[in-house]
Amino acid sequence: MSAILEVKGVTKRFGGLVAVNDVSFSLAAGEIAGVLGPNGAGKTTLYNLLTGFIPADEGSIVFQGRQLRGVAPHRIVRMGISRTFQLCRPFVGMSVLENVKVGGLAQPAPPEGREAHAQRLIAQVGLSGKENMPAELMAYGDQRRLEIARALAASPKLLLLDEPIAGLGSGEIAELSTLIRQIHADTGLTVLLIEHKLHEFMKLVNRVIALDFGELIADDVPERIVAHPRVIEAYIGGNVPETEAA
Amino acid sequence: MNRRALDTVAGAPGRMANPAPAPLAHARPAGLLGDKLDMAGAAVFVAIMVVLPLVLDNSYLLGVLSVALIYALWAVSWDFMSGLTGRENFGHALFIGAGGYTAGFMNTVWFIDGWWSIPAAMVVASVFAIVVGLPTLRLKGPYFALAMLSASVIMERLMLIFWEYTGGEEGINGVEPLFDSPLSFYYFALAVLLLVTVALVMLARSNWGLVLRAIRGDEATCQAAGLNVTWYKIASLLISGAIAGAGGAMYAHYQMQVSPQVFTVVLTITVITMVYVGGMGSVWGPIGGAILLVMMTELLRDFGEWRLMIYSLTLILILFFLPEGFIAPLWHRFKAWVGAKR
Repeated sequence: MSAILEVKGVTKRFGGLVAVNDVSFSLAAGEIAGVLGPNGAGKTTLYNLLTGFIPADEGSIVFQGRQLRGVAPHRIVRMGISRTFQLCRPFVGMSVLENVKVGGLAQPAPPEGREAHAQRLIAQVGLSGKENMPAELMAYGDQRRLEIARALAASPKLLLLDEPIAGLGSGEIAELSTLIRQIHADTGLTVLLIEHKLHEFMKLVNRVIALDFGELIADDVPERIVAHPRVIEAYIGGNVPETEAA
Repeated sequence: MNRRALDTVAGAPGRMANPAPAPLAHARPAGLLGDKLDMAGAAVFVAIMVVLPLVLDNSYLLGVLSVALIYALWAVSWDFMSGLTGRENFGHALFIGAGGYTAGFMNTVWFIDGWWSIPAAMVVASVFAIVVGLPTLRLKGPYFALAMLSASVIMERLMLIFWEYTGGEEGINGVEPLFDSPLSFYYFALAVLLLVTVALVMLARSNWGLVLRAIRGDEATCQAAGLNVTWYKIASLLISGAIAGAGGAMYAHYQMQVSPQVFTVVLTITVITMVYVGGMGSVWGPIGGAILLVMMTELLRDFGEWRLMIYSLTLILILFFLPEGFIAPLWHRFKAWVGAKR
């Protein structure tokens, strides 16, 4: 498979703090990978760099052969990269259906129509019957699903999920993990997700990019990542914790 | 836990100042029946407004109603941009004044026919919208509101400083009326208001309006949906400004003069109050707010010095008990009630 995303030597400094330091990796089309790291490792900053929300200081980010550095966030979305946010950010005062519709407005209207497209995505993430509910009144787990539906509405080729299972109960985590895997299987999308709940994470992804203090410390399959000395060190020295507080 | 959601559920205090917004009054679950009721309500309103001056046959009240219609135009245009996006414009008077003085200069200095004032005023107000909006609407925070406020105050001062050209405090006098009969002007103003309102309500209910309401919800998420947020905001401000400018020109021709008062903060605040009373984000509600407030101002004239106090107290009570406004929210409750009875 060819690389859909190539990140080379990307660096971002906030004053004296180097949030992302000389990070390089590439994603193959159709793969499902994860960014792992303790709090403050630079995961979300990396996402913000990939999506243009903050500009990189150095390095290059090439998506499908096109340089992303200096491109406005809304244009990057139109090029095919969609993201969700760590904290759910539904459009307050708008229904679930309207929320998902907005997600697709930057794209040309699909043949089935915008409304039907949004309805289909709502069904896909398991929110059927809740179309007219005010988005901000939904349960947190449902808001997570809504986030994913809205990101999918932009018809992305690469989907970036920022801690999609953080703050959920164990039952919801299992459901949402299944959903993410299913979406990946059904659509063939390239998926990159951030998580620091190791256990679920390792079952979800085929490959892990591990960060610590802004640096890439390992890039390997999950089985080898859990045994990687630097990953173990990053996760408080001893054994890899199975469950970690979100 | 999601603080945003909690805030909204709890009915966050301070929602008037902060764009962490309450659900908008015109979010419409009403469906077909609701649309029919809307049409019926609009038809009744138009019929009343058409017949009223004929029944009253009172030139003083006709004048009051005409002014109310122009205020309504300003309030509707304010609501289209600021009500929907939540980016409060504290200098709407900038557009009103720009339109008014454009009419004044064109008509009394260059002796151009009064009918050219309105399109010219729209162009001038649009230029102001771009000049102020372009640098400030891309920023988060209060910069846009403050820039609009400052721009209108600066223009007010400039009108006084360059008094040789602008007539200073007195303003420009001798602007020709657009119509010989005040009744004709009234119907003209009514027609303009209806046309503008229908157009803006349709726009607000289209995908465009959906984006504006989404911007009110969360700008970063809009960007994450691939929407050029700045462009939508500037285009909306341009539409809003152009309409307010047209209203400013109409006002100048109606009053047959234009003075620095059209640039004042007081005028902006009055317009915003009308929007709040009418129901923010409904686009049409502010018409009711404008008529109500203008009529109230006039009806209270007999109370002499008590007038301002009664006026303010009434407003405070309305906004205290109905923080989302008076006209549009009540209409929606009525529609829900009718829907429930069927």
